[in-house]
Amino acid sequence: MLDEVHEPSAHVDLSVTYDAVIVGSGAAGGMAAHVLTSHGMKVLLLEAGKKLPIEKELRSMEWPYDHPRRGDMPPDDRAITRNEYTIRKPPYAKGSPYRHVFSYVQGWAGSDYSKNIVVDEKDHPYTGTNFAWVRARTFGGKTAIWGRLALRLSDYDFQAASRDGYGENWPIRYADIEPYYDRVDNYLGISGLKENLPYLPDSRFQRPNKLTHAEILFRRSLEKRGRLITPYRAGVTTDGLKHNKYRSKCFGRGACDRRAGGCDIHAAFDSPTGLIYPAWDTGNLTVRTNATVYEITVDKNSGKASGVSFIDTESKKTYQAKAKVVVLGASTLESARLMLLSKSTQHPNGIGNSSNHVGHNFCEHLMGPGVTGIVKSLVGAPKTLDDGRPGGFYLPRFRNLTEKRSDYIRGYGYEGEAGSHMFPDHAYGIPGYGAAFKKTVRDRQGAMITMGAFGEVLARYENYVDLDPRMKDRWGVPVLRFHIEFGDNERAMARDMADSAKEMFEDAGIEVTGVDRDVLTPGWSIHELGTARMGTDPKKSVLNAFQQSHDVKNLFVVDGSSHVSASNQNPTWTIMALCWRSCDYLADRFKKGEL
Amino acid sequence: MDRRDLIKLSAGAALTAKAAGAHRFFTGDEFAVVEELTEAIIPADEKSGGAKAARVADYIDKRLAEAFDASERDQWRSGLKPFVAAAAPDRAAMLDRLAAANDLFFLTLKKATIKAYYTSRIGIHDDLDYQGNVYQSGDYAGKLP
Repeated sequence: MLDEVHEPSAHVDLSVTYDAVIVGSGAAGGMAAHVLTSHGMKVLLLEAGKKLPIEKELRSMEWPYDHPRRGDMPPDDRAITRNEYTIRKPPYAKGSPYRHVFSYVQGWAGSDYSKNIVVDEKDHPYTGTNFAWVRARTFGGKTAIWGRLALRLSDYDFQAASRDGYGENWPIRYADIEPYYDRVDNYLGISGLKENLPYLPDSRFQRPNKLTHAEILFRRSLEKRGRLITPYRAGVTTDGLKHNKYRSKCFGRGACDRRAGGCDIHAAFDSPTGLIYPAWDTGNLTVRTNATVYEITVDKNSGKASGVSFIDTESKKTYQAKAKVVVLGASTLESARLMLLSKSTQHPNGIGNSSNHVGHNFCEHLMGPGVTGIVKSLVGAPKTLDDGRPGGFYLPRFRNLTEKRSDYIRGYGYEGEAGSHMFPDHAYGIPGYGAAFKKTVRDRQGAMITMGAFGEVLARYENYVDLDPRMKDRWGVPVLRFHIEFGDNERAMARDMADSAKEMFEDAGIEVTGVDRDVLTPGWSIHELGTARMGTDPKKSVLNAFQQSHDVKNLFVVDGSSHVSASNQNPTWTIMALCWRSCDYLADRFKKGEL
Repeated sequence: MDRRDLIKLSAGAALTAKAAGAHRFFTGDEFAVVEELTEAIIPADEKSGGAKAARVADYIDKRLAEAFDASERDQWRSGLKPFVAAAAPDRAAMLDRLAAANDLFFLTLKKATIKAYYTSRIGIHDDLDYQGNVYQSGDYAGKLP
């Protein structure tokens, strides 16, 4: 699929003043481009990475034996391992003899399919505490390889502080964002099953993925506890989208389980085909890739944002883009970095940072604890066609909803799956060798069930990032320094995650073969949030309820950095719903001349 | 796989071996031992071919030849040494001892065999009867609760 219409050019017109410049082309930047251009605004979208021939990268249907290294990267490239993240401190690629060093993201088949999408750690170092920072500097950002679980938040999340007294409430309620969740559902497509849970609102679902045999058995067993597993709520169009010619409906045909994945027929949402190409077709959008923004420029008289400065990643030449409104969607950590980098006489601590909260109140999802087991009735059963689903199941939160635990606050959910996959991961855990080993691998194929927890990491002022005073990236831009650690609440929650998982499996008659209790390095969930949070009090927050800077009214930050708390639901759908709402507001105020 | 496929496959294998001029990293003796050991780990049975038919040794040879970290090659070479030196009837007992001791070389050998075998045509299609990676129309994959 050669697409010549949507080929970004390095020669964009920088003599004009755009209505808005957007930094970043992922879920947030893409949504901002879609909404602002639909309101007739003239928009320049800058992406630091390059535009890849994405279908050639992902090759979703390629068989492992047709790949020279069965999916692994070339020999002089490598990915950082789980152990390295635990033992060593960043910058993790320092002194590495390998040509390229990538973050941990790997499927069972290695990561030859995603290596060009994520950054080379050698070019993009960072310092401080242990942190697994996965960045995708490419057109479309992390939406090229995202996990696709698309969940809504509820007032249990937006009003969490009122419920347990910790932290801050969001400046919005579910009723404010619900219409925008609906719009995101309808415009991008989401598959799922209605469950009527007040703490995990249903979306406007297309046809759900189904549960496999083992998953159905597990769901039935959970009923007596008042819990459930529901088919993966995937940001995937299963019925198709008549209004978008760039996307196909899901045919259940890829090796969707080969994470880090991506979907080369674009049934799974990605920002370019879902949002940016349609925006481009309005004639109101200009796109420039290889454009790393390193500063938000400021008008000396008004103190307002006047545009951005960027460096061409190839030529290293610097440029200025002028705009009446600046919209950041560079990702939670990169947007914070950019605000901190943008120091001026009017904004000595960085733009929009009079509160000194930029970079602070970091939150995310706790990962690691989980369980694996065998559904004994399926051992040796004939194999079924279970692959091709965008995901397996989701087990929603059940803690601190009606009862209150004494050992920790907030909650967690599990993602899991069961069924026959292309590769038998369980083989690595079966002892011995020979004929019996081979038969055991075969018999257990399709009988294994596994799930891992995603829990809320509390937002704390003390968990923050700032600029490293010395280290710079390949383009000479100061890098982030991390000061992020988990606390007692996370540790207590992690214990319960493992215990509960084991208990639920045992209850269902599943033979538990492994219980993970270790917490993974911060950052592992790739759900970084909260470094420029929204709020009503400009002293304790960076943005208002429309993701508009309290200090600089023509600066909006529309990515995950605006989130007040992490909750335990995967954030992408909320990022896009919030962004849509804010950009409607932005366009309205822009037309009224109030920015 | 029918007979015609088998003939095609053998012809292809012969061609590849000829073009490459024997093995890339292993010596002839080492290669023979790797074939034997990987076949011992995943043998042919009534259901499917084993590591030898799936050309697991060939895959390991290719990967080691290009490995960036020379210590990987050293580990294999020194791990194989006692097997190459041993009389053929003794090798099975040696492998047993290493497996029982959870020896590092045994684990490396086993891991490489698993990866190579279960990403091969024989492993995926013949042994595990994998049915996915196909276009599906209408409803697919499992049931609704």
